[in-house]
Amino acid sequence: MNKWREITVFTPREQLDNVAAIFHELGSGGVVIEDPAFILECIRLGNTETIAPTLVPTDEETAVKAYFPCDDSLSERLETISLQLGELSLRWQTGEVCEEDWATSWQSYYKPVQVGRHLVVKPSWEEYNTAPGDIVIEMDPGMAFGCGTHATTAMCLALLEEHLRGGETVCDVGTGSGILAVAAALLGAGQVIAVDLDEVAIRTARENISRNGVDDRVTVLGGDLLNNLAGVKADVLVANIIADVIIRLAPDAFAALKPGGLFIASGIIRDRAEEVRQTFLAAGLEPLSTKEDDEWVALVGVKR
Amino acid sequence: MAKRVAAIIKLQVPAGKATPAPPVGPALGQHGVNIMQFVKDYNERTAKQAGMIVPVEITVYEDRSFTFVTKTPPAAVLLKKAAGLETASGEPNKKKVGKVSKDQVQEIAQLKMEDLNANNVEAAMRMVEGTARSMGIEVV
Repeated sequence: MNKWREITVFTPREQLDNVAAIFHELGSGGVVIEDPAFILECIRLGNTETIAPTLVPTDEETAVKAYFPCDDSLSERLETISLQLGELSLRWQTGEVCEEDWATSWQSYYKPVQVGRHLVVKPSWEEYNTAPGDIVIEMDPGMAFGCGTHATTAMCLALLEEHLRGGETVCDVGTGSGILAVAAALLGAGQVIAVDLDEVAIRTARENISRNGVDDRVTVLGGDLLNNLAGVKADVLVANIIADVIIRLAPDAFAALKPGGLFIASGIIRDRAEEVRQTFLAAGLEPLSTKEDDEWVALVGVKR
Repeated sequence: MAKRVAAIIKLQVPAGKATPAPPVGPALGQHGVNIMQFVKDYNERTAKQAGMIVPVEITVYEDRSFTFVTKTPPAAVLLKKAAGLETASGEPNKKKVGKVSKDQVQEIAQLKMEDLNANNVEAAMRMVEGTARSMGIEVV
């Protein structure tokens, strides 16, 4: 497991942004602001009946927290931090955290969920009494995206259920946890190719594919979008990523689809939906249907 | 009945570049939030602000669902951009590292008005000028 050095700087509120800026400059990838006064203000202004006891701060000090990996660059970074915080005369402390300390804590809140008409996404460690007609997807998403509860994933699952009839070739671009690839196979696809750029996703997707016993029909490949899939012709291409990537992907998606093939695109924030629709049209994909959930949109285009 | 709020988390994260690694991972993970869901949502919502640091306030409910609002980038980040600086001064009182104009300060103050506790633009400008001084940036 990866280890990280946690640096906590206690600071007056008016210095928060300056301290945060020191860490941003050192490439911390962001900071946590611990601001008990802000939380107390939220409680004071809000409806106190809706506050759980856990919200009330136990600490009174304002602090900025940043993290750096415990690698060769750490000691140099700590020296720089020490110098800059010395200038500001601020008190600070360090500690160590491991990925396992935080990576799995959300799992206790992840429960079986029904999606679409027959699909049920079940965390691999949870019990579930199967009803007739249920198609159960066993998942352990680990640190990869796609546990089935996010609106963008749920819409893709429902659309796969709506459009797959059996025997199709399906490409899942940006597979993450592999949930859509597994669903496609369980819904009867003849061949599924799942692609991701991220090593964690590739490993997780393979594990979930084995967990669901669909290894014979699902292949996971490393690669950037469709770059490694020259020559593949799919009946259905599904991508739950973000609007910018969907826009970039549309022309290649058209090329990778058989005539009459479908591109199911999700992860599109509502504000960008029209832009994506126009990109579909420009790429030769006729918008067939749209699904919306909260601020998210999924778009299905057909290659005519 | 409204869902009870279990935690409020404040972060500053590069727009469009949140990852499940720290600080996002530990900050959200300890409250049972699905980290990858937040990462996807945040990156999509901030994609157009690439290159900026965007503060975000996340409200976590007892069932571990969450909502979040993004704020305007910190004055320090906007000032560095305005002055064309990579880093602020380590010794702001002795060593000045850049300059910004009054107009630039006013522009930043106007952008940040909605998030600053200021009654008018002049008060917001004084706050921004204070931040500039603490970074070794002169207002000319």
